[in-house]
Amino acid sequence: MALEIYAYQCKKCGQLHYPFRMVCKKCGNLEPFEFNTVALPKNGKLLTFTTVHNLPPDFNVAKLSLGIVELENGMRITGQLKVPSPKIGMAVSGKVEIVREAEYSKNFGMVFYPA
Amino acid sequence: MREVYVVGIGITSFTRLEYPLSEIAAFPAMVALKDAGLSKVDHVYVANMGSARLNHQTGLASAVVDTLSLTPAGAEVIENGPASGASAIKQGFMAVASGLHDTVLVTSAERLREVNNLEATDVVASLSHPLAEYIYGVTLPSLAAMFTRLYMQKYGVTERHLAMVAVKNHDNALLNFFAHLHEKITLEGILDSPEAMTNNPYVAEPLRFFDCCPVSDGGAAVILASAEVAKQLNKPMIRLAGVGQATDTHCVHERAEPTDLLAVRGAAAKAFQMAGVSPSDVNVAELHDAFTILEIVESEEVGFFKKGEGHLALERGETRLGGRLPINTSGGLKAKGHPVGATGVGQAHEIVLQLRGEADKRQVKDARIGFTCNFGGFGNNVVCLVFKREN
Repeated sequence: MALEIYAYQCKKCGQLHYPFRMVCKKCGNLEPFEFNTVALPKNGKLLTFTTVHNLPPDFNVAKLSLGIVELENGMRITGQLKVPSPKIGMAVSGKVEIVREAEYSKNFGMVFYPA
Repeated sequence: MREVYVVGIGITSFTRLEYPLSEIAAFPAMVALKDAGLSKVDHVYVANMGSARLNHQTGLASAVVDTLSLTPAGAEVIENGPASGASAIKQGFMAVASGLHDTVLVTSAERLREVNNLEATDVVASLSHPLAEYIYGVTLPSLAAMFTRLYMQKYGVTERHLAMVAVKNHDNALLNFFAHLHEKITLEGILDSPEAMTNNPYVAEPLRFFDCCPVSDGGAAVILASAEVAKQLNKPMIRLAGVGQATDTHCVHERAEPTDLLAVRGAAAKAFQMAGVSPSDVNVAELHDAFTILEIVESEEVGFFKKGEGHLALERGETRLGGRLPINTSGGLKAKGHPVGATGVGQAHEIVLQLRGEADKRQVKDARIGFTCNFGGFGNNVVCLVFKREN
């Protein structure tokens, strides 16, 4: 089964959020845990990007590309970018992979490849 | 609400400081107390962002109030990321304006250089969203870089404009004894020459080394007082006339228009409204140029220039010393330095110096109204202040 990253849909008004928030930004519903999880789409277009050359010490790479992607449903996500020559507006496709590893922990997140 | 005046100021050099954090906060406080002619205050606020993680010290305010022999005055640390400084000033303002206290010392300190540069970058990166940004390797330079790329595409800002901010602020810092970087740079050296890529490599494309602030230690202090106290002290009457704060989404990707900095816009509008002045009345401003792009964008969002035209004002020289509205006369975060939690108090220090007419070679002639913008996170928590000279 493919791994997913989830958006949070308000049970009261239907508004989608990513990442998780405790209170819906649209309707302000204060009842706790009033969200359904909805898998985020994997395809989208690259909104902006950078290549970082000065990473925190736990990254054992010299540089790393990051981007913000506008997904098919209009939501946005920040992720890592494995695209040879990124351009604003290009189509990309995401996979959920390990994005950061420490001694005792693995963090999964979205990694984008050319579509 | 009572009127609030700045009656004393003090600062350390922003650089690498080899003495304890509590002393970095205490030294500028001593300078400010001496400057004000006070030996006691009713309350102490200490702005700091990273003491627990960087310096293995908590409860910094208790250490500072005691080392200054100001006990039993109340004391608290104010932490609001890189906007801690202006937030602490805002707390001091509220304490005096409300009538709770007559004199408040707002001091600040950061000692980032106790850890190495990569660790310092990581501590600052922990401002970003833990699960949706930080885990990917997002750092503040990377957020600024992605923002810059969009801004370049939308408004025609170029690497040359960014470099012009760096050159201007390095020039200003040469006139500021307390600045971190006393280093003359030129467009040729950092952009045009064959060596430019060696002199000025990319940190987070399209931002280069000279687009980013240095990692600084430092502290700064101001003393706030009621009008009654201020009148007795025989100092120029500098009123903290406007205080504004606004917040924005934690994740940069959640912002409806990713090239807007709505928290800057909101905080500035509130500060100007409280002060009863408009952006065009300002004579001198300190903007939070942790990255060169931010000076340009903030100059638009606070209302000095139209959206998308800040870089054109920069080209015309309006923001340099001698221009219509000098910005970052101290050298800004870019060259004066950025001891994160202390930066906002450092900005206020520069503006008070300017309004008093004590800024020496970088003095803006007849400056009466000054403005600061202290930018927390990547624009998710911003505090703006307006200062007015009254006599």
